[in-house]
Amino acid sequence: MKVSIVSLTCCAGCVSSFLNAGDALIEILSGDFEIVYSPTFIDLKEIPNVDLAIVEGGVRTKEDERLIREVRAKCRTLVALGLCATHGGVTSLGNILSLKNLLEKEYSLIDTTKLPELEDLMYPICNFVDVDYYIPGCPPMPFLIVHTLKSIVSGKQPTRHQSVVCTECHRKIVPAKLDRLYGIYEKEADPVLCMVSQGFVCLGSLTREGCGAPCPRAGFTCFGCRGPPDSMMYRSRDMYAFLVKVIASRTSIPEETVKEELYRNPFVFHTFIFSRFERFKARDRVV
Amino acid sequence: MNGRREITISPTTRIEGHGKVTIVLDESGNVADAHFYATEIRGFEYFLRGMEADRLPFIISRICGVCSTAHITASVEAIESIYQTEITETAKRLRELLLMGQIISNHSLVCYFLTLPDFWFPLEEDSSKRNIFQIMRERPDVGRRAIALRSFGARILDVIGKREVHIFSVIPGGIINPLKERERVELLKEAENSYAIAKEALAMGKELFDKNWADFKKAGDYRTHYMALTKEDAVDFYSGNIRIINSEGGIVSEFTAQDYMEHVEEKIYPWTYAKFAYLKVLGWPEGIVQVGPTARINVNRRTTTEVANKEMQEFKSKFGRPAHITILLDYARLIDLMYAVERAREILQDSNVTRTDTRVKVEPKGGRGVGVVEAPRGTLAHEYVLSNDGRLDQLKLIIPTQINNQAINLNVKDAATEFIHHGEIKPGLLNRIEMVIRAYDPCIKCATRQAGEKLVVEIRNHRRKILTIL
Repeated sequence: MKVSIVSLTCCAGCVSSFLNAGDALIEILSGDFEIVYSPTFIDLKEIPNVDLAIVEGGVRTKEDERLIREVRAKCRTLVALGLCATHGGVTSLGNILSLKNLLEKEYSLIDTTKLPELEDLMYPICNFVDVDYYIPGCPPMPFLIVHTLKSIVSGKQPTRHQSVVCTECHRKIVPAKLDRLYGIYEKEADPVLCMVSQGFVCLGSLTREGCGAPCPRAGFTCFGCRGPPDSMMYRSRDMYAFLVKVIASRTSIPEETVKEELYRNPFVFHTFIFSRFERFKARDRVV
Repeated sequence: MNGRREITISPTTRIEGHGKVTIVLDESGNVADAHFYATEIRGFEYFLRGMEADRLPFIISRICGVCSTAHITASVEAIESIYQTEITETAKRLRELLLMGQIISNHSLVCYFLTLPDFWFPLEEDSSKRNIFQIMRERPDVGRRAIALRSFGARILDVIGKREVHIFSVIPGGIINPLKERERVELLKEAENSYAIAKEALAMGKELFDKNWADFKKAGDYRTHYMALTKEDAVDFYSGNIRIINSEGGIVSEFTAQDYMEHVEEKIYPWTYAKFAYLKVLGWPEGIVQVGPTARINVNRRTTTEVANKEMQEFKSKFGRPAHITILLDYARLIDLMYAVERAREILQDSNVTRTDTRVKVEPKGGRGVGVVEAPRGTLAHEYVLSNDGRLDQLKLIIPTQINNQAINLNVKDAATEFIHHGEIKPGLLNRIEMVIRAYDPCIKCATRQAGEKLVVEIRNHRRKILTIL
């Protein structure tokens, strides 16, 4: 199987994560998996026709858009690796500023004959091309990437993770009586109690499983880097109202107070999925 | 002759993130100017304004997936300097260990995956073969060692940082969880194994370096200032003062992290999304300064570990104090790698690292603070201004690639001048230019992102009409 690895606007963390797979990586590379194009590793000029294209990063410039269309035309299966490719990722926080604003503020001198023009917003790649498999995560865990790629190579469907992070978390949900919410650095987390029951804003209940819940397990909050689960892929489900209800029921803080506290920080949910995302396309293809 | 022309190389391959090179030729066909540009932009400086300090470190580390540990550590240090928090010794050890883990995973990637192919295959060979996958096919043992070494770095990040890429365990006040004794023993076992691999890598690297030295040393010889962290004249990645030396090796200044921004200034050019950083007292463009593996060796007299120190002294006596030749960065990076493995082993050998006092309570307040660490590519600084309600008012990041930016540009121009005379281009230009860029291991992701155009060399006339495509 011929494979290309392409990077668009991203931090390169997803390919780093893939390279962290250790022995599993050696196993993949020694099997039917020949990387023929990857500007990070190979000095090849043209994008060749391949069986599998792995794309990390989203679309921020016109050049990204041109590139992703070319990649799609030259591959049979396209995998979106990481949250920037699947949902727009952290860069899509830039969507809170207009493009004009972004450029005027610091890059007013930019010469567009030399540099690619920017898109008006940061987009996930599915807004431009058809994607066969979505592997969200910032970055996805090495075992998840390995599992998906192995399945694709052997012609099987990869396991889909449809539920929420709470299903993989060891913590016990016990309703508590608290008077306010806490910042993650304000107090040490109890080792067994649910993070929300302790007053932390943990997004596990509205984030897709499949990562093994490393963050809440370590006493940190889930910050939603796997994007919404299947049940949240429909617009009718309001994430915000859902979280307010979850927090209120587990801490006995009144819903109004929770709402106010959450309003204070605009970045709580949308840190990683702020972009315009065509959910209906992705529904059954998120791994 | 045929007027002013422009040569473009895009994208530059085998570096992290992708840039573009333009060479401008004058009327007689000689090199007039050369630029290395970053064609990406993400705008972190703008959209992070207003973010709560609580969420800042683990979001700002998303700037770069390759050196995220350095970013999160610098970020937390900046916040701690505002809060005036003094963390415990155990937390300091663990943070240093995390930085070592990152150096190991990053440098093993750069040394084996990105630069090794240049030394392994003679330059004239088929360029599509010049990559790590080809080396792995020919010598599976080299590939296995590369991956084993990288895995050790990733293991450290996973065990202490709780994730392999974009760790989150570094928080204002210390480290979120203590290291367990069982984990320490496990890591130590891997450290012993990696120590042997790193020694082998160093021996192999030196041998390949000697073989290619005569050919490669011509590429890039720039006498500039150098900057790095130093602690009692020894290499340190986490603490100490920042020291700047001049091209003769004399110490120009030494200051603490909090004064960093008074010494470094930024500049913008219209042709690149990456900014330039330079020394304020010398001004632009005299204040050009370099950071990274060579700078770390030039600025410091010794390292605290045995093998790395021996190698460092050998390096210094062979190539001068300070050493200037660009391609030496690849050599110096191997010494860095050796140091990181030795230092990680040393930290893990001390069972005090498993003490449970990893966290102290923080008292949030507003103010200005700077955090400085040595990232794989050089000195990294984050400066924040927090408002009284704990939100980010202003931020300024000085990233190693920005500092090296001008040196990279000068090196590209040098290499171009060597290969282009009177409009004639000697073969090997492309890879030579890429090699000097690659030596700096620039992280464009950090300074910004990639534009993936086809890798072609276009020669255009002054009206930007294409004359030939190589």
